[in-house]
Amino acid sequence: MMNVIDVQHLQKSFQKEEALQDVSFSIKKGEIFGFLGPSGSGKTTTIKILTAQLTRSGGSVFVLGQDAEEMKKTENRARFGILTDNSGLYSRLSVEENLLLYSKLYNLPTSSVKEALDFVNLYKDRKKKVSKLSKGMTQRVTLARSIMHKPELLFLDEPTSALDPVNTHHIYNGLRKLNEIGTTIFLTTHDMSEAETLCNRVAFLHKGKIRAIGSPQDLKKQFSDDTITVELVDGSEHCIENNRKEAKKVYEWMNQGLLSRIYRNEPTLGDIFMQLTGSDLI
Amino acid sequence: MNLTRIHAIFMKDYKEFSRNYAVSTMVLLPLIMALIYNQTGIESMQGYFLPVNPAFVAVTSFVQCCLIAEEKERNTLRSLMLSPATLFDILLGKSLLVFTISAITIILSVYLVGYNPANWLILGMALFLSAVFYIGLGTLCALFTKTILEASVAILPIMLIFSFGPFALQLSGKYPILQIAEWLPSAQIILLAESIEQAYTATDIMVPIITILVWSIITWFFTIVLYKKTMVD
Repeated sequence: MMNVIDVQHLQKSFQKEEALQDVSFSIKKGEIFGFLGPSGSGKTTTIKILTAQLTRSGGSVFVLGQDAEEMKKTENRARFGILTDNSGLYSRLSVEENLLLYSKLYNLPTSSVKEALDFVNLYKDRKKKVSKLSKGMTQRVTLARSIMHKPELLFLDEPTSALDPVNTHHIYNGLRKLNEIGTTIFLTTHDMSEAETLCNRVAFLHKGKIRAIGSPQDLKKQFSDDTITVELVDGSEHCIENNRKEAKKVYEWMNQGLLSRIYRNEPTLGDIFMQLTGSDLI
Repeated sequence: MNLTRIHAIFMKDYKEFSRNYAVSTMVLLPLIMALIYNQTGIESMQGYFLPVNPAFVAVTSFVQCCLIAEEKERNTLRSLMLSPATLFDILLGKSLLVFTISAITIILSVYLVGYNPANWLILGMALFLSAVFYIGLGTLCALFTKTILEASVAILPIMLIFSFGPFALQLSGKYPILQIAEWLPSAQIILLAESIEQAYTATDIMVPIITILVWSIITWFFTIVLYKKTMVD
């Protein structure tokens, strides 16, 4: 399958500080790829390089089959969408007026505004001024704006930061629907549960370097200590190794009707990040 | 260049401008000056241009500067730049509103001061070029600064120099260095206006027109360079 993004040995320096060091990854068409890392790890810098808002210091970066610098070209700008935590919406204009402007900039029919607002479940709020919207609603309008031209590739920079669970749920639903119609999504976050919920693959970025890359399931398997927790009806918990010898013990508990719950101990993505870097994701 | 995009940006700016009273009330300044001048009963070219030059600075440059600085501060300019709109779509769309408002304000000011130029065509050409220059100046100032506050402070000396520069010529006898103010677009337009009221030569017309044109070209050259720099961090 074609790589929508192909990054090899990417480097970025700001004066003496190295923001990205030898970063390599690729994203296939239709994937939701999560770029996980704490604030200042280089996530936004990577998005800016991929969308030609920043020039790289070294390495090769291909986006939609072209050098990332080519994303500056007018015809390429319609191929991707971008959502950042800084909405870039006109606060004195209504939701509808904001989207109407972008429908014209992208040469879309007026009906695309309704379509985009329906997508984020905000059509009934279309007449509201952006300045009167909650943070969650503003983020949903920004999402509507970034997907209304049906981009092949969508960049999301911390899409649900500071959102309540209801709005986060709305955004997740929207992103899943988009992915179902073939949109490739590049998502940066420091929220590991978000990455687990949405992403097919994730990369851990720490101090400008990729520390691990893979699907959440594979990474959990790779970093699992292969133990099982057994909860008995009396409330006691037993952590046992996942092998034949311990299986006998489980069988006995089961035979005596003492077994309440049994589950494999898997690290969370946050645990793995901590194990790899010695620091937290936040 | 795409007319639909230019029109969309113009309409967006119009809605924003009409709801932004802090900026939109600036158009009243030259009109009030014109009304006051009208009441004095004095008739001189310097006087006729008393509201016109401040209109260029307070409306054309200042409003353009505020509109773009606000877009920059709120990150909406970057969003526009990431859309398929080209440099010319954005700059033209963003200049069109200020151009229209300036034209209306200046025509009203000229009417209010009771000035009836002998040749509207020549003066109109100079006013058009001046508007192009002052729009460029406002854009340049906004692109050069980071916030609305910074931009509105940075434009103050520009307002002072270009509005009241022609008055400095009155002191050039005592301070010859001030003769340089003669080459300001605001001084050149007065010279041109004086020329068309008498028997004029082609040079009398061409020198001011070319001077304002050169100011415009230089300003827009730097504006475009800075705009391209603003597209990347």
